[in-house]
Amino acid sequence: MRPVNTLRHLARYALAVAAIGAPLAWALPAHAANGPVYQTSRHNAGTPNSDVVTKKNGQITSYGDSAITYNVPSPALAALGQALYLQNCASCHGTEANGVPAAGTTGAFPNLVGLGPATIDFWIESGRMPAADPRAVQAPRRLPRLTHDQALAIAAWINSLSPSYPAIPTVNVKSANVAQGAALFALNCAACHTIEGDGDALARSTFAPSLRNIPATQVAEAIRTGPGNMPRFTGNLSDYQVADIVKYVTTEIQHPRNPGGLGLGGLGPVAEGFVALLVGVAVLALVGFWVGERQ
Amino acid sequence: MSDTITKRQRQRAGGRYGAVGRALGELDDRLGVARGGRTFLDKIFPDHWSFMLGEIALYSFVILLATGVFLALYYVPSSTIVTYHGSYLPLDGMQMTQAYQSSVNLSFAVRAGLLMRQMHHWAADIFIGSMVVHMARVFFTGAFRKPRELNWTIGVTLLTLAIVNGFLGYSLPDDLVSGTGIRIAYSIILSVPLVGTYLAFWVFGGNYPGTVILERFFILHVLVVPGIMLALVTLHLVLLVRQKHTQFPGEGRTEDNVVGSPMFPVFMAKTTGFLFIVAGVTAAMGAFFQINPIWQFGPYDAARISYAVQPDWYMGFLDGALRIFPAWQFHGFGHTIPLEVTIPAVIFPGLVFGLAYAWPALERRVTGDHAMHNLLDRPSDRPKRTAAGVAVLALVSMLFIASSTDVIANYFKVSLNTVLWTMRILVLISPFVAYPIAYKIAKELHETKGAGRRKVTNVVTRTESGEYVAVPAPAYVDDVREELEPTPVPVFIEETEPTGEDDASGGVRVVERD
Repeated sequence: MRPVNTLRHLARYALAVAAIGAPLAWALPAHAANGPVYQTSRHNAGTPNSDVVTKKNGQITSYGDSAITYNVPSPALAALGQALYLQNCASCHGTEANGVPAAGTTGAFPNLVGLGPATIDFWIESGRMPAADPRAVQAPRRLPRLTHDQALAIAAWINSLSPSYPAIPTVNVKSANVAQGAALFALNCAACHTIEGDGDALARSTFAPSLRNIPATQVAEAIRTGPGNMPRFTGNLSDYQVADIVKYVTTEIQHPRNPGGLGLGGLGPVAEGFVALLVGVAVLALVGFWVGERQ
Repeated sequence: MSDTITKRQRQRAGGRYGAVGRALGELDDRLGVARGGRTFLDKIFPDHWSFMLGEIALYSFVILLATGVFLALYYVPSSTIVTYHGSYLPLDGMQMTQAYQSSVNLSFAVRAGLLMRQMHHWAADIFIGSMVVHMARVFFTGAFRKPRELNWTIGVTLLTLAIVNGFLGYSLPDDLVSGTGIRIAYSIILSVPLVGTYLAFWVFGGNYPGTVILERFFILHVLVVPGIMLALVTLHLVLLVRQKHTQFPGEGRTEDNVVGSPMFPVFMAKTTGFLFIVAGVTAAMGAFFQINPIWQFGPYDAARISYAVQPDWYMGFLDGALRIFPAWQFHGFGHTIPLEVTIPAVIFPGLVFGLAYAWPALERRVTGDHAMHNLLDRPSDRPKRTAAGVAVLALVSMLFIASSTDVIANYFKVSLNTVLWTMRILVLISPFVAYPIAYKIAKELHETKGAGRRKVTNVVTRTESGEYVAVPAPAYVDDVREELEPTPVPVFIEETEPTGEDDASGGVRVVERD
């Protein structure tokens, strides 16, 4: 081989490597070593929008609207609640409920003091707590380990450490406006939970859960307390508006009207594409096979 | 014996073909339909199932036109904002465009409206799906070769137009999901280097969303694009008759003949039945499978968005390319070129469809094969072509799958970022993995004796004395195909023998009327 040719070959090879390698190097970013922490540890300071606040024994029971009543669990349950807490929660959140289970572990688990009864109730009654895997990025919804009364008792004890709000909401869905709820849902919720309420994956193993099987109280609690990645909707949504959304979620989202036949899981074009290709085109191709080969 | 003419005598007087024959005779006297009609009725269709794939597309197109006319009677292409007070309560009192209102009303308040809408949508999905399958058949069997390059070009154009029109139709209801699609289309137009802004403003009549886009999409969707497509489909079929069908090699089949069933009566019965089956399957899907429930999505509003929005399947490869492309941008010379949009959504589809258009010429150049081809290849006969086709299909399929990254992540409980990176890698390597595998399989198949032929089965029977005997089963109809004697063609009219007189004079050419 003449040297000129060899050089030319080498140059070509280098050019090819550069052409393929440069975009690759550009495309493969260096990942940050420390992943961000996704569990919220913020002190819940949400203040629902209202001028009139009703208090009972120094606790907020209502923000003036008749759409939602906020009930503080009875302080009489606190003693039972502490016992339950020590059995089920203290191994991570610490005996003081301050998120410090042992010396030197500050910051590993959320501080529960001052979060308000609604937050405690939501996490326990949705089955997320006690957590199956405390290291999971996001706790999934499960069958609850503790009963409703036990959840109330734990909430009562944690609330007794530092009384705070929001209390546990009872939503009056009868007077709520489902059309208003639909509009508010599209504006505030659909961006993560999808317009059909199926939920979807977000970045880095977090996800917006499906809303298909969630009781009214937990929907309202989630909106008011913002569990996990979810924003806390406080100042920008009135109790009337929250009740409207709760009604829309518990009626149209959980029992969608599918007059057109099978709902295909509310998955939209992904499921539709499968049906079109695997049912429509495939069946017709099979029929074509049957017809076309006949003589 | 009376003088009255019996029915039988009247029939006999009317000739062998009765009133139909007479009517055709009258028509032939005036329009000369006999010659073309005979050519058409005698057209031979090879009996192979893969030739029916294109017919799925043809009949889906017919269904699209029929259901589309119905929908156009009720749809109002208007961006005027109105307040909804219809039968679907969750939307009651909501502000929406007249387009969305009329689409919801058409679904709930018009008899059979929802069925028609769903049939139209399913037919569109099936239409493009069967076009792709048909195109794959034509590609892998080499049916696009000389003399059929023009018909291949028409086919690729039809596919492009069908995808465009599918997108336009998907956008018309102006629901939350389709509005998001229009927004993406606007960004894609914007991303065209240098002229993007002007182009986008020209298409949308100003900045997004403007007030004219639904009206423009409507006229394109119902008139301009289907009109062009109808003309091209006609041309596609005329060329098919003119150039005659291709056929797979077999006994008695040569480059110069076509062996199969004639249009009348065999193929006509088949194909008419097939039309009804396609219509029936589409109607059943429209009745039992819900598609695009726009009432659950609500009206479009630029401030609202739903997560998990995918386009219809045929746009999936574009959406997938957009999703997985890294966020690259070019800044310079006072311009910004969003490469993350330009490359996957403008340059890439241009390359794919450009390759499809150029393939017949490319193959001619590479193989140096300029001969006429009426006999088809089996895919294993041309391992390189087959492998190239499989590689492109693998690439496009991976991009198609990439358009549902979020659904995959959610349902398989994997991190979205993992899915994203997996898809990026799969898209890059899939053609290079698919090519050698397909090449090897095709090559081996080609060299295997009897591959692709049906094996002769043995029928094992037990005699009364308990002995087992294996007897070769009677051959399949396909395996022994005798070339039939040409059947005499029924004569509708007396053809006059050409006189052969050539009395052209003075530079005037005389054309005989026939």
